[in-house]
Amino acid sequence: MIGKKNERSLNERLDRIGRAFVRASGLNDEEAESAASSPFLYARLRSRIAAERARREAGESWFALVGVAWRTIPAMALTTVLAVTLLWLTSTGAGSSTVFGDESLLGASDNGIEQVVFADGRVLSSDDVLATIMNEDGREASR
Amino acid sequence: MDETTDNADAVSIQPHTHAAAVAPTDVDLVARVRANDESAFEELFNRHRRRVALIAGRFFRQREQIEEIVQETFTKAYFALPDFSNTQEASFAAWLARISFNSCYDELRRMKRRPESLAEGISEEEAAWLKGRLRADGAGDDIEAAIVSRDLAGKLLARLSPEDRTVLVMMDVEGMSVNEIAEMKDWSASKVKVRAHRARASLRRALGKFL
Repeated sequence: MIGKKNERSLNERLDRIGRAFVRASGLNDEEAESAASSPFLYARLRSRIAAERARREAGESWFALVGVAWRTIPAMALTTVLAVTLLWLTSTGAGSSTVFGDESLLGASDNGIEQVVFADGRVLSSDDVLATIMNEDGREASR
Repeated sequence: MDETTDNADAVSIQPHTHAAAVAPTDVDLVARVRANDESAFEELFNRHRRRVALIAGRFFRQREQIEEIVQETFTKAYFALPDFSNTQEASFAAWLARISFNSCYDELRRMKRRPESLAEGISEEEAAWLKGRLRADGAGDDIEAAIVSRDLAGKLLARLSPEDRTVLVMMDVEGMSVNEIAEMKDWSASKVKVRAHRARASLRRALGKFL
């Protein structure tokens, strides 16, 4: 009991001294006034504000660049994916067309290809030419 | 009728003339700064720099440190002015004090991260003087007045954490209540009480070594 009382008394004493030290650590009014009225303090403050403003603007422009990249990168990625897909589809189509036969090319909707294939396939032989000439001669003789 | 009108004009004009002679309030000056009137900011600086220096002086003793805190505080305040929305007259001073305390707290934390910037150890003479004060009757009475105690106080308080030191200064020097500290630091009231209890215990331990 007495020990606790002594301890409490000691703590109160140390607290009182501690408070005195905390109060003693500060500047008094005159010293604060002197520090606050330092020459060119406001001029230094203005230059500091200007520097801070420039730093913030640089940060903002960098941030804007990140914002542009944030929107651009997905768009570019999507475009790249589409381009690769189209390239892949095109190359796949070109490769397979070499193994297609004439029949696969003779689609009903593609008359141009049909004509080319037909033209390619009906090359006249010398017998055909001779037969045609003889037919022509026979027709003229009958007249 | 004319006379009545003249009197009425005189009555209505008089308050305007009186208002024009009165210095602008802080709120008026803040509005002018927002409208890019730089001279209004200088007026705010001149009005409040002493108070900011006094707050800085609670934590730091070197002139360069105090000027640094003053500049830091007003720079932060300048860029935070668009967020200042209180319309009460005393609120700008309180708002600025809050920024000042936070600037001091940040500087204390920076100093803790740089061990070389901390105060050097307590000398033998200072230890002997402190021992004498601790054993004397009426301890604490002459400490505030003694020159030696100012350096000693800085060295003792440097041993506390920035949070503990801030709370002790706010309570013992500024005389702020738990609720005021809680509001200023954005802490709960119970956190302030716990922090104050720990701070006192830390200071007791620091002093107890010299008993």
